[in-house]
Amino acid sequence: MDATYIKNHIEQLKKDIYRYVQHKTLLKYTGNPLVDENQLFYMLLPFFNGDHWDDEKYEGIITVGIVQASLAEHGLINEYDATSKEQQLTVLSGDYYSGRYYEILANSGNISLIRQLSESVVLRSEHEIRVYEPRQYAIDDWLDSITVIETECISRFYQLYNYDQYLNIMQINLLILRLQNELLNYREGNSSLLLQKMIESFVPVDHLNFEQYLLKKLDVLIQQLQELLRISSIKAELKQYIAERLIR
Amino acid sequence: MEKMKLKMIYSDLKPDIEIIENELEKALYSTSHVLNDASLHLLRAGGKRIRPLFVLMSAKFGHYNIDRMKYAAVPLELIHMGSLVHDDVIDHSDMRRGRPTVRSQWNNRVAMHTGNFIFGRAIQYVSQIKDPKAHQILARTMVEICNGEVIQIEDKFRLNQNLKDYFRRIKRKTALLIESSCEVGAVVANVDPAVTMRLKRFGYYVGMSYQIVDDVLDFVSTDKQLGKPAGSDLLQGNITLPILLMKDHPKIIQFIERASKGIVTEEERLEMLQIVRNSDSIQEALKVSDQYLAKAMKEVEQLPEHPTKKKLRDIALFIGKRKF
Repeated sequence: MDATYIKNHIEQLKKDIYRYVQHKTLLKYTGNPLVDENQLFYMLLPFFNGDHWDDEKYEGIITVGIVQASLAEHGLINEYDATSKEQQLTVLSGDYYSGRYYEILANSGNISLIRQLSESVVLRSEHEIRVYEPRQYAIDDWLDSITVIETECISRFYQLYNYDQYLNIMQINLLILRLQNELLNYREGNSSLLLQKMIESFVPVDHLNFEQYLLKKLDVLIQQLQELLRISSIKAELKQYIAERLIR
Repeated sequence: MEKMKLKMIYSDLKPDIEIIENELEKALYSTSHVLNDASLHLLRAGGKRIRPLFVLMSAKFGHYNIDRMKYAAVPLELIHMGSLVHDDVIDHSDMRRGRPTVRSQWNNRVAMHTGNFIFGRAIQYVSQIKDPKAHQILARTMVEICNGEVIQIEDKFRLNQNLKDYFRRIKRKTALLIESSCEVGAVVANVDPAVTMRLKRFGYYVGMSYQIVDDVLDFVSTDKQLGKPAGSDLLQGNITLPILLMKDHPKIIQFIERASKGIVTEEERLEMLQIVRNSDSIQEALKVSDQYLAKAMKEVEQLPEHPTKKKLRDIALFIGKRKF
């Protein structure tokens, strides 16, 4: 197994997700569903690592991808004006994907995964809406929220099929990747609302400014991930694949 | 007054409807203050709860147990609620049932998260039911509602559409969810398949009638009764049955053209309302609604003898004759 093998499988999963939610009008106005390749990698990780795998699980990760795409579409809605045809159809594409994940699992009778994914949608919505709460959250609360937003759907899949050994690695890695992305946007002056909230909550310690704090936090997380990888029993090629994608 | 009439029809189901109401409140509880406020705001805005009512009434023809039926009745209302929250984003609506919408009170993003939260809760709730058939019906309905809305957006301000386009649209927009309420209620209560089919068709016909009446009320009711400006459907480009029945009227053509550009004045809105109200199209549309009601009644006649038959008849009549 090499990086090409991994990439081919990720590409195939992406195509399958597109195929399951194909809709002529939505495709025309809103394009393909938004899927994150890093998340797709973690959905496939048990398969790559040689764990028991079957059609039910593959269908399961397709629906995990569809749920993530549904919520990602809704993240594109403008706060105050969604009156353009594209925006209106973006609302509907998210709803359509949400109906499709449910329909796919209902047709195969996978009620357990339906339950897990619906719970993850509830939890994600609760965390995504935090940026609009008047309450002040501590910076660690925001890190928890990012973790839920980035990883909850996959976590539920892992928990249902007893893939717990990958849970911490996946959570820390996806948190790192999101923070790195937020940091890049911050440097370019395009901070997300979530990052702005983090900045508001930031209390300077040891004369560090927010950017230095974030870099230090990322260093700690990367060390944690490296340690987890070191003691993990996952295949060496997979450890290498993960490590190569960490920008230090 | 209208709600009182409805309550009288289902008076013997009152304790169970109260259970559903409490369960709805529980289902909408969140650790997030904004979600709690937004959801409870919706819940307290009222609504007729006709979907849970149809679930329960259909279940009466089988093994009725409220502790089990609530897992079907509550999600049906939640799906309806969630789609209203998202619809208000699409339509840029400020008011619903006389109260500010979630999007106008907070913003579109909050409305998106609230809708997703409610949909999530609906599916979480219904996942207590293990029979895949119930899930297949609900899931198909959710997908079809979206398809209907996509078509509605495609058809906006399009006058060269026919009655078939309209019926297909309202089937998906409204009738399917009422049809599914009846079917899911019957499936979960293990109602005989032939009876389930009749209940399903009953729901479909009632749903079609319900939407036609809704479309008529949008023109004939006052702003106060509607809790939003009368004629809002047409202002947003939705060509409903009363308009389709008079689509060649030059003033209507002109109004739609101006509405598509967003340049309609208040005077023009009032003039349009007057034209529609004075036309035959209102009565014609209500006749079509009555035809659907007659079909619904026919289905009721063929149901097995049961005290609920009369209630189904009464509720169908209420829907056809309601004033808002």
